[in-house]
Amino acid sequence: MLTRRNLVLAALAVPLASRVMAERAEAMKPRDLYEKGGAFTERARALDGQRVRFEGFMAPPLKADAAFFVMTQRPMAVCPFCESEAEWPDDILAVYIRRRLDVHPFNVRIEATGRLELGRFVDPETGFLSMVRVVDATYG
Amino acid sequence: MKLLTASVLALASATAAFAQDLPQASSQWFTDGQAALQEKLNRQPNTGRAKNVILFIADGNGVASNYMNRLWAGQQEGGMGDDYVQPQEAFPNLALVKTYNINAQTPDSAPTAGAMNTGVKQRFNLINLGENAIHDDCSTVAGNELTLFSEMMSDAGKSVGAITTARLTHATPAAVYAKTANRNWEDEVPADCSAQTDIASQLVNALETGVVDIALGGGARYFVPKGTATPNGGEGHRPDGVNLVEMAQSNGIQYVSDKAGLDATTNDKPILGMWTDSHASYEADRPETEPSLADMTRKAIDYLGQNENGFYLEIEAGRVDHANHDTNAKRAMIDGKAFSDAVALADELTDDADTLIIVTADHEHAIAMNGYCGRGTPIDGLCYDVAQTGIMHSDDLVLGDDGKPYTVVGYLNGVGSVMVEQADGKFTAPEGRPEITQEEAQDIDYVQQSLIPKSSETHSGVDVALYAKGPWAHLFDGTIEQNVIFHVMDYAVTAE
Repeated sequence: MLTRRNLVLAALAVPLASRVMAERAEAMKPRDLYEKGGAFTERARALDGQRVRFEGFMAPPLKADAAFFVMTQRPMAVCPFCESEAEWPDDILAVYIRRRLDVHPFNVRIEATGRLELGRFVDPETGFLSMVRVVDATYG
Repeated sequence: MKLLTASVLALASATAAFAQDLPQASSQWFTDGQAALQEKLNRQPNTGRAKNVILFIADGNGVASNYMNRLWAGQQEGGMGDDYVQPQEAFPNLALVKTYNINAQTPDSAPTAGAMNTGVKQRFNLINLGENAIHDDCSTVAGNELTLFSEMMSDAGKSVGAITTARLTHATPAAVYAKTANRNWEDEVPADCSAQTDIASQLVNALETGVVDIALGGGARYFVPKGTATPNGGEGHRPDGVNLVEMAQSNGIQYVSDKAGLDATTNDKPILGMWTDSHASYEADRPETEPSLADMTRKAIDYLGQNENGFYLEIEAGRVDHANHDTNAKRAMIDGKAFSDAVALADELTDDADTLIIVTADHEHAIAMNGYCGRGTPIDGLCYDVAQTGIMHSDDLVLGDDGKPYTVVGYLNGVGSVMVEQADGKFTAPEGRPEITQEEAQDIDYVQQSLIPKSSETHSGVDVALYAKGPWAHLFDGTIEQNVIFHVMDYAVTAE
């Protein structure tokens, strides 16, 4: 029988189970979100709104107290001869963090856990346009 | 004189007889060596006039990178790789090329491509200006503009093409048609600069005036104004509000933005094609809607080959360089294979009798190979030990003195430095060098370990190889300066 108490417990249990699963499952990589040509993968669309765990690298933050950082698939090489200005790779992921930004070296692998969010979003502070984010994220 | 000739013949005959008597004479290595010798003895120089010249440049693909590509291509076909012959390696003529710039021991791609297209070395970071021009100084442009091989060929009635997997406004393709004090002035020059236009404008101008007839690659954003959508769905970047794509189309130039569009072009009007807003995709990431370098090569030769006076075509694999800058060796070798596929196709579509094909690089990288690995060690993975018996490597990984395995391919500097910035700002490796598994090493996104921390791995000044076939290809010999390439091309197309 579905009582109010059961309902509340069930509602609590789902995110908890989802969280535990996210932490147990093998970490995803930013590249798992994209098909060749840049469209989202089926897996990405299926996980929209779910808790997920990603491994990658923290690109040098756009500003010191930013609310997010950009996770890259490979360490973010900045090649003056490849690009005439700063250029993001195609397979990136914006990570909106729950707390203060603690900068990690750009070439040290990190993990971030949070809720996957697909869709266009312009960061109000930096103007950074993201098409996919992990929000409410913890990382390290 | 007759006596001398007879003596030489007798000596050669005696040597051959002696060689056949050697205990190793039945070895496959020995008979292959004899066959290679005979092939060289049979060679006749081609002293006809070159109708066509194709200059292949794999950006950043020096001798070490080329070695890596060879093993990758061979191992993809199921072999051990080291005995594999890339199409260009079967060409009869070879030179080593010194790549330094006028003022740089370690070159960049702008003056190196410029040297090949003008016959003179140039200064770091600028394109096709004389030795008195200064990088980033527009006031030194006037009077220092050099005449380009493309302009000479166009004047001679030939057609001209530039194709690349980088942006069409990037250094190597730009050297076919542009003259600029700064390689980065791709869609904008300083406000007070009137001596030159930006590189994208120069390309459209070259298409409109007939110096260039076909240009294929990436980089559409530099042809479209800021705030305007590019044909690829992104946003333009030009600050001057000029839409060069529309301008080109209104002047009768066919514009295409994907493979289907390229396949649908006709051969009666110039073609400008850009598949991406910045560089075209790495071969490993290329969607089917985007033409490969071989697809572009086929179209360019089909289009340019209509001209009975012939053509000049520069073909660049631009992203071997970029993957090397990322110390992501696997993407570099995959692009290297795509490059040699384009070489093979160009060779197939043209006639050795009238087409000079040159295959080279503009510069090398700070890349090197570790040892001592056994035969068949995957070039994209860890180094396996030499086996005591048989041919294939043993199952044991070769370890460093730190007890950890290492990859065959390494770089001297780059993002994969074993020394990492610590909280106090110092770069150290408190845990030592990272452990690597074969699965990690062979991942498409793996970045090789390197020594010096750098946000982008650097070029190096090491020589690059040049392979050639066709009319006057035999003039490529020994160790040459990079600007000599222009002089051989020019001689080949004008020889009586």
